[in-house]
Amino acid sequence: MDYIIQQVINAIQLGSIYGLIALGYSLVYGVLSMMNFAHGDLFMLGAFFCLLLEKIIPLPLWLALLLTMLVIGCLGALLERLAYRPIRHAPKVSAIITSLGCGLILENITLAMSPYPRHMPTLFQNSIFHFHGITISSLQIIVIGISLLLMILLDVMIRCTTLGMVIRALAWNRLMVSLLGIPANRIISFTFALGAALGAAAGLLYALTYPVVSSSMGIAIGWKAFIAAVIGGIGNMRGALLGAFILGSTEVMSITMLPSTYRDLIAYSLLLIILIFKPYGILGEPPTQKI
Amino acid sequence: MDFTPEKQSPILEVSLLNKNFGGMRTIIDLSFELAPKECLGIIGPNGAGKTTLFNLLSGIIRPSSGKILWFHQEIQKKSSSEIVHLGIARTFQNIRLFKQLSVLENIRIAYDIHLTYTPLQALLRTALTREEEKKSAQAAMELLDVFSITSLAHQPAGSLSYGDQRRLEIARALALHPRLLLLDEPAAGMNESEMYQLVELLQWIQKKFHVSMLLIEHHMAFINGLCDRTLVLDFGTLIAQGTLEEIRHDRRVIEAYLGEAVT
Amino acid sequence: MSKQQKQIVYFLFFSILLLVGCRSSNQSIKIGLNTELTGEAPAVGASCVKAATLFVNKMNQDGGVDVGGKKKPIELIIADNGSKADEAVVVAQRLITQNEVVAIVGPNISSCAVPASEISENMGCLMISPWSTNIHTTTKNDGAFKKYVFRACFTELVEIPLLAQFAMSHLHLAKAAVLYDMSSESPNSAAHQFQESFLKAGGKIVAMETYTSQDRDFSAQLTKIQASHPDILFIPAYYNDVPLIAEQARNLGITAQFLGYNSWSTPEIIQLDSHHYLDHAYFSNHFSTESDSPLVKKFIQSYQSTYGTAPDDIAALTYDTMGLIVESIIKAGSLNRTAIANMMANIEDFTGVTGTYKFHQGNHDPFKNVIVLTIENEKFVYVTTLQPE
Repeated sequence: MDYIIQQVINAIQLGSIYGLIALGYSLVYGVLSMMNFAHGDLFMLGAFFCLLLEKIIPLPLWLALLLTMLVIGCLGALLERLAYRPIRHAPKVSAIITSLGCGLILENITLAMSPYPRHMPTLFQNSIFHFHGITISSLQIIVIGISLLLMILLDVMIRCTTLGMVIRALAWNRLMVSLLGIPANRIISFTFALGAALGAAAGLLYALTYPVVSSSMGIAIGWKAFIAAVIGGIGNMRGALLGAFILGSTEVMSITMLPSTYRDLIAYSLLLIILIFKPYGILGEPPTQKI
Repeated sequence: MDFTPEKQSPILEVSLLNKNFGGMRTIIDLSFELAPKECLGIIGPNGAGKTTLFNLLSGIIRPSSGKILWFHQEIQKKSSSEIVHLGIARTFQNIRLFKQLSVLENIRIAYDIHLTYTPLQALLRTALTREEEKKSAQAAMELLDVFSITSLAHQPAGSLSYGDQRRLEIARALALHPRLLLLDEPAAGMNESEMYQLVELLQWIQKKFHVSMLLIEHHMAFINGLCDRTLVLDFGTLIAQGTLEEIRHDRRVIEAYLGEAVT
Repeated sequence: MSKQQKQIVYFLFFSILLLVGCRSSNQSIKIGLNTELTGEAPAVGASCVKAATLFVNKMNQDGGVDVGGKKKPIELIIADNGSKADEAVVVAQRLITQNEVVAIVGPNISSCAVPASEISENMGCLMISPWSTNIHTTTKNDGAFKKYVFRACFTELVEIPLLAQFAMSHLHLAKAAVLYDMSSESPNSAAHQFQESFLKAGGKIVAMETYTSQDRDFSAQLTKIQASHPDILFIPAYYNDVPLIAEQARNLGITAQFLGYNSWSTPEIIQLDSHHYLDHAYFSNHFSTESDSPLVKKFIQSYQSTYGTAPDDIAALTYDTMGLIVESIIKAGSLNRTAIANMMANIEDFTGVTGTYKFHQGNHDPFKNVIVLTIENEKFVYVTTLQPE
C-alpha cells in the first residue's frame, strides 16, 4: 500500500512539472493558434537564469522565482515581438519552423556559454520525512505546492478577471477583439510573457528537484509537456493540466506494473488511443467557424 | 442631387473612395456624406460592395485610394482598434460573438476599451480595485436590460437564439459608446415581428444615445422605418441616393435590380 | 560587379588559396581527433583534446616522429562530433577524405564510436577509440575484428565480470539491483553483462530497471527498486545522470551500496554530486593517478602543470592511444594507412600510462588490468587492481 502511495506522490510531482510547461503551450496556442516549440528552451533558460542569479547573489527561493519569471517572461514577449509577430500571417509551417529555429538558437547560445552540465545549488535546507514507509521531502512539497499555486492563480486570472476575459476572447476571434478597440498585440505579448514565465518557473523547480542543469534539458520534457497539452485539448488551460497529470501518472503507472523498459511504449500508446477517441483532446472542442 | 436634412456639417465624409482586389474594382469613386444623428441606408444587389465599404470604414482593410474623413480627420489609414476608439462601431452580417464567453462578458469586454490600457495595468487594476469592474458589470447589465436579454446574462453567447445573438451583437457595439454605428444586415434571419421590434429598439437607441447609423439591409420595410436617406450601390458605384420614394422611381436602380432588359 | 561583390570574390579566392596551401604541406603527420566537445559528454571530449595536445606538443618539441629515417612533426586536427552518432560519422568522413589524416583518435562514447568505426573500416583508415568499451566498436556483425579499428581500453567483457566478482568476493554483497540508461549502447550492454556475470558468480539480481537519456526523474523506478531490498545498486549510466540517481535513491531511503563502471570516471561527477551521495561508491576504471610507475608520474606531472588539473582516465587513455599510433608509424616506417594499421595489430608489448598493452592473436581489444576506485572526500581513491585471467 505504501508502495502505491509513494508512486502516487511520484506521479503528482512529475505531473505538476509537466503541467506548468503544458500551460505555456496552451496559452500561446489559445491566443495565436500556433505551437511555440521554443517553449521547452524557455523552460531551460528559466533553470539557467536562476543558476546564474544564485552564482552572483544567493537569493531566497521566492525572490529567485519571481525574478526568474519576470526576466524569462520579458524574454518570451521579446521572442514573440521579434520572431513570431513578423510572420503571423505567413503559412502555419513557417511559424512552426520559426519556433523550432528559435528553440535551437536559444539552446546553442546556452551551449556556447556553458557546454558542461552544471550543478544547481540548493536554495533551502531540504529535509526528508518518513511515515510508515512513505518518503516525502520538503523539496517535493514545495515544488508541488508552488506548481499548484501557480496553476490556481492562472485559472482564477483566466476565468475571473477582465484580462482573462480578453485572453479567452482572443482565443475565439482575434480580429473581433481589435474591432472592439482592444490592443490585441499587447495582450498577445502579455500572454506570451505569461506562458514563458510559467515555463521558467517550471524550469527552476525542475532544476531544484533534479539539480543538473544543461542546455538540452528542455528538449525531451518540452515534447512531453506538448503532448500533455494536446492530449488535454490544446488551447484549453484545464485540459493542459489534466493531460499533464494523465501523462505523469501513466508513466509512473507503467513503470509500477511492468518492466520500466516499456514505460514510453505503454505511456504513448495509451495517449494515442485517447487521441483516436477524442481527436481534439479530452477537454478540447472541435474548431467552429472562426472569422 | 445633394440632400442634407439639416444645414449641419457632416460627421463622415467619404470622397472618391476606391478599392481594388487584384484586378477587381470593388469600390469605384464612391463619395457621400453623413450628417449628425442621421440614419443612412445602403442597398444594392449582391456583390455591390456594401460589406467592402463597411470593412473600409471600420479599418479592417485599407482603401486603394480616396479619403474617409471623420470629423474632418482622415481615418483611412488607421487600424481598426484606433477607429473604434474614435467612435465607429460595427456589427457583422454573419454574427461574430465570443460564443464561449457569457452574454455579460461579451458586453463587458466592449466596456474594456474604457478600462484597459496595458495588460499589466489591467492585471494590477483588477487585483487592487474591484470598483471599476463592478461599474462595468452594472453598465453591461443595464444595456442587456435595454435589449431585454438580462435573464440570459450568464448563458454562453453561443447558446442564444439567432435573434438574441443579433441583438447581443448590437448591444456589444453600443457598449463601445460609438457616435456612428455600422449595422450589416441587422434583421437577417429574423421573423417579421422580431424585425419590427428591432426597428423600434433602434429608433429608441438613436434618440437615447444620439448615435448616427449606417445600415445595410435588404428589407425595404426596415429601411423605411429607420432611414432618412438611402444610397444605392451597384458594382461598386453609387448609382442613386435619396429618400426611398425617390429611389424607387430611379431608372438605374430598376435596371440594377431587374437587369438591362428594362429600358 | 559592386564593390561588396568584388570583396566577396577576393575573399573566396584567398580562402581557396589558403586551403590549397594547407593541403600542400605534406610535411606533417596528420592525426584526426573525432571527439565529444559538446552534447551529452563534453567533459570526455575536453580531456581527450587536452591529452592529445599534450602528447603532440611533447613529440614535436622532441623533433617529431621518425618516419623511415625522416623526422616529421605531428599535426592534430580536432573535430567535434556533438556526442551524436550521425555527426560522428560525418566527422570521420571529413577527417579521412578532406583532411587526409593517417589515423583517427576517437570517438569515445560507444554510440558514436560504433558507427564511426564503420567509416574507418570501409575507407581503410586506422581508428583507435580511447574509451569505447562496446564490443561492436572493433568487431563486425559476424564477430570478426575490423581490420582498421582498435581500442585503447578494455571492453565490458573484461571489465564487468571482474566488477561482478569484486562485488561478490570483496564486498560480500549478493543481491543486486540495476538501473540503467537503456537508450545508450554502453550502459545497456554493461547492465546485461553485469546481470549475466553476477548470476554466474552466484549472486541474485532482484531488479532490472531502465530509463531513457534526458530523463531526470527516476523516482518511480527507484521506488520499485526499493521494494526489492537490494544490497547493491549498480548504475551503468553517464556521469551526469549518476548524481541525480544517487540523490533520489538516498532520499527515497535506499541504503544499498552504489556500484558503477568506467563511465563514472570524470571529476565532473564529483562536482555534480555536491551533497556527497556518492561517497563510498565503488566503480571499475582504466586508470588511477595513485600509481608508482615513473611513466605515470611524469605524465601526471606534465598534465598537471599544463592544465592545472589531474588527468582523468580518458586523458590517460587518449595519451596511450597517441602513443600506440606513433609506435605503429615508427614501426611501419611510412605514412601508408594500411601499413600503419598492420603494425598496430602486431603490438605485443607497449607500456602506456594505463598499463601494458597486448593485441595478441589478431585481437583488436587489449588485455589489460581493471582498477577499482571509490569516491571519498571529493576524490577518486584507489582500492584495488583486478587482473584478468
